[in-house]
Formats: sequence, C-alpha cells, structure tokens
Amino acid sequence: MATESVTAAAVDPGWEALAKVAAGNADAFAPLVESHQERLLRLCERLLGDAEEARDAAQDVFLKAYRKAADVRPQGQVYTWLYRIAVNHCLNKLRRRKLVRFLRLDAPGDEDSPTFDPLDRAADPASNLEARRRWQATRQAIGKLPENQRSVLVLVRFEGLSYRQVAEVLGITEGAVESRLVRAMRRLEAAQEAESSRVSSAEGKR
Amino acid sequence: MTSGTEHELMSLLRGELAAEEARELRARLRREPELAADYRRLEQTWNRLELPPPSPVPPGFTGRIMARVRSERASGSLSWSSAPNWVRATAAASLLAGALLGIGVGRSWPAADASPTPEGAIAGLKVSSGEDLSLAAGYWKLIVESTTGGETEARP
Repeated sequence: MATESVTAAAVDPGWEALAKVAAGNADAFAPLVESHQERLLRLCERLLGDAEEARDAAQDVFLKAYRKAADVRPQGQVYTWLYRIAVNHCLNKLRRRKLVRFLRLDAPGDEDSPTFDPLDRAADPASNLEARRRWQATRQAIGKLPENQRSVLVLVRFEGLSYRQVAEVLGITEGAVESRLVRAMRRLEAAQEAESSRVSSAEGKR
Repeated sequence: MTSGTEHELMSLLRGELAAEEARELRARLRREPELAADYRRLEQTWNRLELPPPSPVPPGFTGRIMARVRSERASGSLSWSSAPNWVRATAAASLLAGALLGIGVGRSWPAADASPTPEGAIAGLKVSSGEDLSLAAGYWKLIVESTTGGETEARP
C-alpha cells in the first residue's frame, strides 16, 4: 500500500507542481488547473446540478487547493485529493442551499431539483424531449438521496471511479462505499418504479 | 435477497468482483431465476441513470483562477486564510491558552472580591501627593445626584 502511494506520487507530476506552489511559485499552479479543470467542473456540475454554480464551485475548489498546497502530503493521485476538496465543497454548498430553501419556506419538492439547460445534441425534438425527461428524473432522484449516498453514486456511476478510489476520495472504507451504493440503488429503484407508475397512470387518463 | 447477495450483485455489475467470485455468481444467476430477476432489475436501474453531457470548460477559465490566485498572493501572503494549518493551529492554541490564563488570574486576583465603595473609588483616585482629584470628586457628585434625584447630599 505504502509502495503504491509512493509510486503514484512519483508518477503524478501534480505533486511536484504543488511543491513549487508551496515554495512561492504561483505560476506553477496553472498547468495543474489546466489538467484537472474539466473533470472538476464535471464533478461539481453533477453534484450541484447547475452549470453556473459548478463554475463558481470549481474556481473555489482550485483556490482552496492553492491555499492548501503548503500542507498537502503527496499520497496517491493529485486528482483524488482535488476530488476530496470538491466533494466537501459541493456538499457544503448543498447544505447551505437546503438551509436557504428551508428559511424561505420553499416546498419540499423543490429541494435539490435545480433547473438546468443541458446542451441540445439530439437532432430529433421528440428524442430530445425524452432525453431531457430522463435527465430530469435522474437529477431529481439523485437530489433526494442523502448526501453520503449521493457523493458515492456520482463518483461511481458518473465519474467511473472504482470502490477503492471512492474510498480514498471520501476517506471511508471500501465496504462503506459498497453499502452506500447499494442503499442508494434501492432508493433509486423505488423512485424509478414510482415514476413509471406515475407516467403509466397519466397516459391511462389521456 | 440477502444483503450480502445484493452487495455481490452490485459488485458484479460494477466489475468489482474477483474473476473466480464473478464466475460463481454468474453460475448462480443461471440456476436461480429469482436472483437473475433481481440482477436484471439492478442493471436496469443502473442503466436508466442518465445525466446530460457536461458543459464544456468556459473560455478563459484557467486565466480567471490564476487571476484570483495572483490577487490573493499580492493582497496578503500573510493573510489568515492563506496561512498554513500549523500556523493557524498554533495561533488558536495560543489564544485559548491566553484566555484560560486570563480567567485563572482573574479569579485569583484579590481585588476582584472587594466590593466597590464610594470611599474606595475616591481613594483610588488619589494622586501620590495625597490631594483629591477634584475632577473625580465632581464626577462622583454628578453620579450620586442623578441616581438619587438630588435628594441625598453628595459626598465630597
């Protein structure tokens, strides 16, 4: 395990860049941003469900990483460390969002179902509409998951991380990753069944 | 379905099972229709999870971050937020130690138990030559008059 981390640290040039940043060379941070911005933006967007908010969040995550450069201990891959900062940051944002909605007395159904306008890549309007419906359903179902299950599901399903990588990002055991994922899947299955019956009953009324 | 089996099915779906375990579970799926139905349901739920393609990285994104980094560095390399954790921890510990010391000293201070009296207050304002401070005496008179409505004679 220790050998693996040392090897990974030696392979990942990001740690070297961070060491330069810690030594006062702020410009050494730019290549790190270049190489990780796409995946961090994607992660923030999937956790927050809003592209605009994700851009702000990703900027904040990079700034936090810059501030922590002096303290970080090279272990594993740099992106794992960045993911950890991003997940914590986004979950904090979601908590604040929930609190704001609670204080504004919004309806519970509105919670965590932000509007988003994904790229229109489908040529056929009908299939475009269907895709949007599926995305919206997924977004809402994920939004209703407890935050610990949500982060595991997003990292495994949409970021394609292995249990071991997710465990490293979240600082939990692989067994805990597995349990959270199974619990999330049970909830999603129930949500999808409910959605299917809602759609069928709506079609039956027409 | 037991929790263990559910975990195994999930691991099979994710490709997280070791080759031998995966082979055994696949053989069970062929033998047990109920288990196979559970697996199909899990797979269907998994495949129905779809999110829109992620937005592209906005132009100038790196530049904006680097501008914030440079402005932070310029505005205060000594700022609290940019200080390393050990500096912040030491500062917090010093503050706490200072506060505890202050409380301890405050409690053990003899003067803290003495109840203030007008005489004591005036005596405390005597200068080394032994003369009363006329300004302090004047203030005391004003305080007494305002609290008693001027009925009581003010002390000198």
